[in-house]
Amino acid sequence: MKAKEILEKIFPSGFAVQFGEQVFSGTGETSSGTIAVIGTANHPVLGLSIILELSELLLRVMRDTPGRPILMLVDNDGQKMALEDELLGLNQYIAHLVKLQDLARRRGHPVIALVYGNSCAGGFIGFGLCAGQTYATPDSNTSVMILPAIARVTKLPLEYLEELSKTVAVFAPGVDNFERTGGVQSVWEGDLNRCLEEALQKEQSVDQRAELGAQRGGRPLAAKISKQIADA
Amino acid sequence: MKNKKRQSTRNYLEATARQRISDFLDKGTFCELFPPTVGVSSPHLHYFSIPRSFDDGVVIGEGMLGGFPVAVVAQEGRFMGGAIGEVHSAKIVGLLKRCLRSRPEALLFLFDSGGVRLQEANAGELGVAEIIRALLDVRATGIPVFGVIGGSCGAFGGAGIISGCCDILMVSEEGRIGVSGPEVIETNMGVEVFDARDKALVWRTYGGKNRFLQGQANELVENSVAEFRAAILRYLPCPANYSLESLEKEYKELKKRAEKFSGSHDALEVWRKLGFEEPEKIPALTTDELKMLREKK
Repeated sequence: MKAKEILEKIFPSGFAVQFGEQVFSGTGETSSGTIAVIGTANHPVLGLSIILELSELLLRVMRDTPGRPILMLVDNDGQKMALEDELLGLNQYIAHLVKLQDLARRRGHPVIALVYGNSCAGGFIGFGLCAGQTYATPDSNTSVMILPAIARVTKLPLEYLEELSKTVAVFAPGVDNFERTGGVQSVWEGDLNRCLEEALQKEQSVDQRAELGAQRGGRPLAAKISKQIADA
Repeated sequence: MKNKKRQSTRNYLEATARQRISDFLDKGTFCELFPPTVGVSSPHLHYFSIPRSFDDGVVIGEGMLGGFPVAVVAQEGRFMGGAIGEVHSAKIVGLLKRCLRSRPEALLFLFDSGGVRLQEANAGELGVAEIIRALLDVRATGIPVFGVIGGSCGAFGGAGIISGCCDILMVSEEGRIGVSGPEVIETNMGVEVFDARDKALVWRTYGGKNRFLQGQANELVENSVAEFRAAILRYLPCPANYSLESLEKEYKELKKRAEKFSGSHDALEVWRKLGFEEPEKIPALTTDELKMLREKK
């Protein structure tokens, strides 16, 4: 789905969004008021410059409109793989972007990510999984690594992995698998405006993903282990 | 006495996660949480015919450091490259959550990880996001998080991103930090983008010296557990600093770095722009020599 198309579906009451080459930002109207929109389009890879652009937008929302909810519209093909970016500490730039989303949530901005395109690997961590809540559209793609690459690394036949991925959610790409492991809270279908309105009402103070992963059977142990250690 | 001396100079790079913890903390104070005797290992690795480990590649617990109560995470690079899977990340998240109640003076995170474990890719990816959130919970309540990087697997992928969320980062020359490693870049983008066989280039790019000189790591430390320990003790006690002001400042630094070194294809160019007149000599300098040279700048 194109960015404009999804904005029209999410904000039938209107939005004012400016489009750059890969980044767009502005505001959208909901029944509970105006919210901030920060998104990426045309599946960019997250390198230094786009991360700085997104970071500045997050800082501006925190500075200028305290408490305003933030909707991140996510589409990326992962982190940029380049010597130049690694040389200057890409990890620190991604960490910076992640901290801004986290701090915004702590400062009372509900932060919602909707993956409407692709989101992979370091790009999914940097822009998607570190929001207060993460959602996806049914036609989106979330992954860490595609199956042929996993087959190469694990030296297992691709056919075996394809068969295994039908029953085991823990390693294969796909929104369904991220939903079953608890990383995607739910898949937005039908009335996207209503999906957003409902998400805006949700509490974000507790990380529920491990619990969801246990309930949905995709991540059987994480919630139990961390609770056992925390309470010991 | 002889034994004590040997222990105090233990090579960090070559030590196991448990040896690092035992040398880091005050003698006899370490209490491991969720130890191997609990008997829980990865529920997923059997699909891939990989032998399991009863600590899943990470040791967690509590102890004393110079008389201060601390919590410790130590990844074990010898098990699957310290890769982050479901149990591995859940142990770390559990310790971080526990800190909110136990209130240690600091949390030490001894990184040694290539990132997300591909056999449990989704659980590992979510685990990284959960660790970051729980780690920032700890910092937000005022407890500082120290990252230590000097193991053979460094801190790559998701582990590299987590390292960027610490208050203070300590690195040895041998410690490498990055997101995509050289082989990953070469495989995906081609040898003309990154020649992973050029080891000198790899070290100049990811190695501790470059990370220190650019200010990505706060301290450059000799490859010894005792030196890392001493470096952290010089900071304690200290508050965490996680605020809008600290992130505004970080943004300015990152923006300035990206502009100043834009178009650099080699650390040598970066170091020259930093004011080092003979950057090609930097790789051969000892840690102390480099720190002295930097002091003069």
